[in-house]
Parts: sequence; C-alpha cells; structure tokens
Amino acid sequence: MSRVLVAEDDPHILRVVSLWLNRQGHEVIEARNGIQALELFERQPPDVLVTDINMPGLTGLELLDRIRELGGADIGVVVLTNRWDHREIGEQLNERGARVIPKPFSPNELAKVVSEMASRSAGAAPSGRE
Amino acid sequence: MSNPPVSAAPASRQADRAAKVIPEPIGLAIAALIFSLAIAIALVAQHRANRSAAEQAREAAQGWGAAFAAGAWKDHDEFTSRVAATRPKVVVAAGARDAAGAVQYAWKAPQRAGRESGTVEVALRDAQGAAAGALVVSYAAANAGALFPFVGGALVVSLGVYWYLYRRLLTHTLPFAALERSLRHHAQGIEGDLRALQLSDSLGTVAQAWNGLVLRIAQLEKQGGAPAEQSDALRRFEAVSLRTALDRLPVGVLRVSPDERITYANAAVARLLGRAAEELTDQVISDVLDAERVRPLLSASRRPADETLELPDRDGQTRRAMRLQVAVPKDGEPDQDRLLVLQDVTHLREMEQARDNFLYHVTHELRTPLTNIHAYAETLTRPDFDDEQTRKECYNVIVSETNRLSKLVEDILSISQLEVGSLRLELGDVDLLRLMREMVQDNLGAADEKGVDLTLKAPPKTPIIRGDKRRLAVLLNNLIGNAIKYTPAAGRVDVSLLVEGRWIRVVVRDSGIGISEADQPKVFEKFYRCARDEVQAVAGTGLGLAIGREIAHLHGGDIRVASAMGQGSTFTVDLPINAREEE
Repeated sequence: MSRVLVAEDDPHILRVVSLWLNRQGHEVIEARNGIQALELFERQPPDVLVTDINMPGLTGLELLDRIRELGGADIGVVVLTNRWDHREIGEQLNERGARVIPKPFSPNELAKVVSEMASRSAGAAPSGRE
Repeated sequence: MSNPPVSAAPASRQADRAAKVIPEPIGLAIAALIFSLAIAIALVAQHRANRSAAEQAREAAQGWGAAFAAGAWKDHDEFTSRVAATRPKVVVAAGARDAAGAVQYAWKAPQRAGRESGTVEVALRDAQGAAAGALVVSYAAANAGALFPFVGGALVVSLGVYWYLYRRLLTHTLPFAALERSLRHHAQGIEGDLRALQLSDSLGTVAQAWNGLVLRIAQLEKQGGAPAEQSDALRRFEAVSLRTALDRLPVGVLRVSPDERITYANAAVARLLGRAAEELTDQVISDVLDAERVRPLLSASRRPADETLELPDRDGQTRRAMRLQVAVPKDGEPDQDRLLVLQDVTHLREMEQARDNFLYHVTHELRTPLTNIHAYAETLTRPDFDDEQTRKECYNVIVSETNRLSKLVEDILSISQLEVGSLRLELGDVDLLRLMREMVQDNLGAADEKGVDLTLKAPPKTPIIRGDKRRLAVLLNNLIGNAIKYTPAAGRVDVSLLVEGRWIRVVVRDSGIGISEADQPKVFEKFYRCARDEVQAVAGTGLGLAIGREIAHLHGGDIRVASAMGQGSTFTVDLPINAREEE
C-alpha cells in the first residue's frame, strides 16, 4: 500500500479522487490547498503527489518546487491542469518531472497513472522503506 | 509687406482725361451772370447819362430860343458865338431852321462830331410871338464811348471768375470722375489689379483717402489669397488650422527632424509626457523618450514602426502602456521630418487584460463543474462503486454541478445582454423579505462550510414592491455570496432589510478582507477583479456586482459600497417601493 497526497481546492474533485484511489488500495491524505499540502508533506512524505495547478495560497507549481527542494526528488507527481493554460505550464511541469493530466479528466485514468507511479517508486527504493 | 509704389503717370493721365470730360456749366453760368449784370449796370448808367444830357441840351436850347425872341441874335456869327460861349458840355451841335424849314444857322463842336446820342428841338418865335422856325440841338452824354471799355472789362472779370471757379471745381470733381472711370473699368474687368484704381495724389485729399482705402483692400485681398500670392497665404492658413487641429487631437504627435530634434509637439503629447509643449520643442528626441525600447526605434532612422511600449507615468512610479507609431517620409519628399504618434493605450490594455481574465475565469469556472460531472458520471458507470451511498453522492454532485453550470451560463448571458443593453425586467409583485429569507437560507450551507456566521435582521413585515423576482434574487444572491466568499473563517455576514420612506434598503455587511479605496469604484465594472492574492485565490468571473448594479438600476434603485482594507465591506442597495412600471 502506498501513500498518496492529494491537494485540490474543489471539495468534489478531492472527494472523487480520494474515492478512486482508496478503491485502488492507496492510502489517501487530503489537502484543501497548497500550504496544507506542504505541511502534510513535511510531516510524512508520500509516495505520490496529486495536485491541482490553481490553488489559493500556494500554486501546484510552487508546491512542486518546494517539495523538490525538501528532498522529494523521486516522488511521482501528477498535476491536474486547466486546458486553458496547459501549454504554457506543461513545459515547466515536464521539466520538473511531473505528469500532466488536464481537466476534465477520467478518474480511472488518473488512478492508473498513480498506481503505476506508486509501484515504480516502491520498486526503485524498497530498501529506503523497510 | 510694403505698399506698392503709386505710379504717377497713369494717374495724371487719368486727370487729363477727366479734364476733358468735365463740363463746367456752373462756372459758365456764374460768369455769364456777372457779365450780364455788368452790361445791365452799364446800360442803366448810359441811359441816365443820356437823359441828363437831353435835359441840359433842351434847357440850353430854350435859353437860346428866348434870346432869339428878345432879338439878341440875328445872324449866323452871332448865333455860333453865343452857342459856343454858352453851350453846356453835352451839346455837340446846334442849328436853326426858318419857318419854311430851310437851315439858316449851324454849329458843331469841333472834336465831338459823330458822337451825339440824341437831339432836341425847340420852336423859335419872334418878338411878336409868331413861329419863326425851330432850333435843333444835338447832345452827347458825358460818358458816351465809355461803354465799350466797360463791357470789355466786365467780360474779362467774368472770364476770370469763370476760370477761378473752374479750377476750384476741377480739383474737387476730378478725383470723382477719375474714380468713376476706374471703378467702371474694374467692374468691366479692364483693370484686374485693385492697385490700378489708385489716383494721383495731386488730385487732393479725396484722392489720397481713396488711395489709402484701395491699398488696404489690396492688402487684405493679398492676405486672403490674391492669385499671385495665393500659395503663400494658403500655406500660412493651412499651417495655422493644421496646428489647431493637431493640438485638439487626443493623440500625441511629435515631429522629429533628421538630426533627431523635435520640431513640433502637440498638446496631447505634452500631456502624455507631462511636460510643456514649448519645453519639448528643440530637444533631442532620445532625451525625451529614452526608454530602452524607444531608442532603437528612433535611431533606426528610416523605418516606420508601430510598437506598444511601457513608459513611466508622470509620477515616475507607475508605468503606462503607450503605442508608438513612427511615420517616415518617402525619399524625395520635401519634408524629411519623421512623425511620431503616441497614444496612451493603458486603458485599452486594462480592458484586454480584463477580457483575458474574464475568459480565464469563465473557463476555469466552467471546467470545475464539467470536471466534476465527468468524474462522477464515470464513477457511476463503474461496478466498483455500486453501493447506494456512493451512487447517491454521485447523483447529488452531478445535479449541483449542473446547477452551478447553468448559473454561470445565466451570468454570462446576463452580462452579454447587459453589454447590448437588452436586459429587460419581468415585473411582478415581489415580497422582498421572503425573497431575502430564501437567499439567506440558500447560502447558509456555504457559510457553514466556511465557518462564517450568516444572519438576517428585518422587520416582521415589509411592503411588497414591483420588481423582477428572478433578477432581484440574482442581485441578493450575488451580494450574500460575495460576502461569504471574501470573509475568512470565524467572520460574520449580517444581512438586514430596512424600510426608509418610499425606499427599501438592503444592507449586506461582512467582516471580510475589505476593498481598497482605489478598487471601490471599479468593483461594479464588468470583469473587474481586484489584483490582490486573497481575491484571485477565490473563484469568480468579476460579473456578479456588475450584473447586480445593472439590476438595481433597472429597478430605479442604486447600489453602493463602503469598505476599508481588512475591516470588511458593506454593500447597500436602495430599491423604490413603487418601482416605476417598465417602459
């Protein structure tokens, strides 16, 4: 079982993402904004981060930078973006090794991507976890 | 402009011509009158002299007749010696006839022959009183012969008078005749140039005054575009009106010479650059517009340019967006100055920014419910989530997000109607108190979720107003919704309803983040959202208050805001109880 931190300011989206990830057998930690997500990350780094790009306080991009600074270099990151600014921000996110999923998205597809990342990180650093 | 020299030759020729045409009846009449008068005087004098001469002659003759009757003289010698001795000066000849008529005696004054002007005859009687013939005496007036020299003198005098009068009149009438003649020529187009109408100064004051008038008119005509100097005058005229027009333009215009100096700056550019137009003239252009991006545009001499630049505002702190266009002269054009047109497009930029923001927020607002509908609908299709509770939750989210979508679409529709001015009210009786209760009720969930205390204070009963219930609901909902959105947890939103005379007042007071004084007038503008992080973090289209204000206005009411940063905001809506029936 892997830990997934989900940062999303819309409660309905947060809920549906949690629902699907839980059903896939992940432990989901919910954050309502970027700052809360950063706090939760510092408390216990997750295996995968799913974050919205537009959030009050701290944007998804800023959150990603902070997490990379805090040593979370290997953590798989999925960023939910708006199609509107997808192109501009897509490159920046790719540079930081994040996977971009534009809204509206399929929760099934998101769950698959997260599971892939979780198994990869579990395979890459099994010794670190034991 | 100097007066053209008056050429004397044609003017004097005109005087000659005038002299020929001038008839002089008055002078002639006066001269004739004088002459006739002189003749009359002479004739009267002559007549008088004659009469007196005849008297004297008759007297002398009667004297001699008496002497004859007394027998004082008998023969010729005696007669002639007596006549010669006693004759008055007027008697020039004397003779005697006998009763039969034969001449018996005769005497003549030696030097005065042929000058007699008349004769008198006296009967002779002898001592017995019998007729003895007649005595005939010829006389001549004392001034006889003076008539002709006198007439000659009168003629000379009257001719002299005539000549004098003629000269006098000539000096006065000559200019008028010349004037008449030249005016006639001008009217007939013989003399095109007004200056040809000038008269010789020798024609006196009338001519001099006339010349002054003609010169003045000629000058005015020249200024106004007399054919010869037309281009010059036209150029001056165009320069003046062009300058006026340029100064009235709301667009900045600079003229820059090939050596980079400003040769002209209009009023608008002076305003834009915060300097006096006179101060700008003669400056090197790059000293005036020295922003980094401007310099290459201006030194890249011969290329036209059209760019939008950020220039520091007059206060030196904010920057304004300026569109700079450079128009360059064509090769071989006489005017090699470049024309720079400067326009403040800051407001345009702001509007573009507002439109982009609007699109961004609209798509964001659209995407969120769409994302939810998509995700929850997909969840419903999966057998993994077939428990009743999850399915119910999915349905609820889909319904609420669909409502959110339709609300958003309605907002956008309202704003587009507002844009074209076609927003119309559907009037009916509205119980505003009841409507407010519903709106507060609807927002309680959102308030609870945020930890904001939402309250309603109102009298138990308020008048029914005429209005559009649906639109008023939108207005109230927008105000309450905003208050909750921009009030942090543990804050409060107090909604109250008051009746003030013929008005119903709705007050929505919150303890939220507040609105800066600069932003307060702008919050009612379409698409406007404050740039502050606290505002940008909250989803919104910047339409709610714009729509709200329009609805208040359409009801004949108004809306206003009072606020201070960090101390909450109070929105007040006044609606008339008897809203006017819609047109």
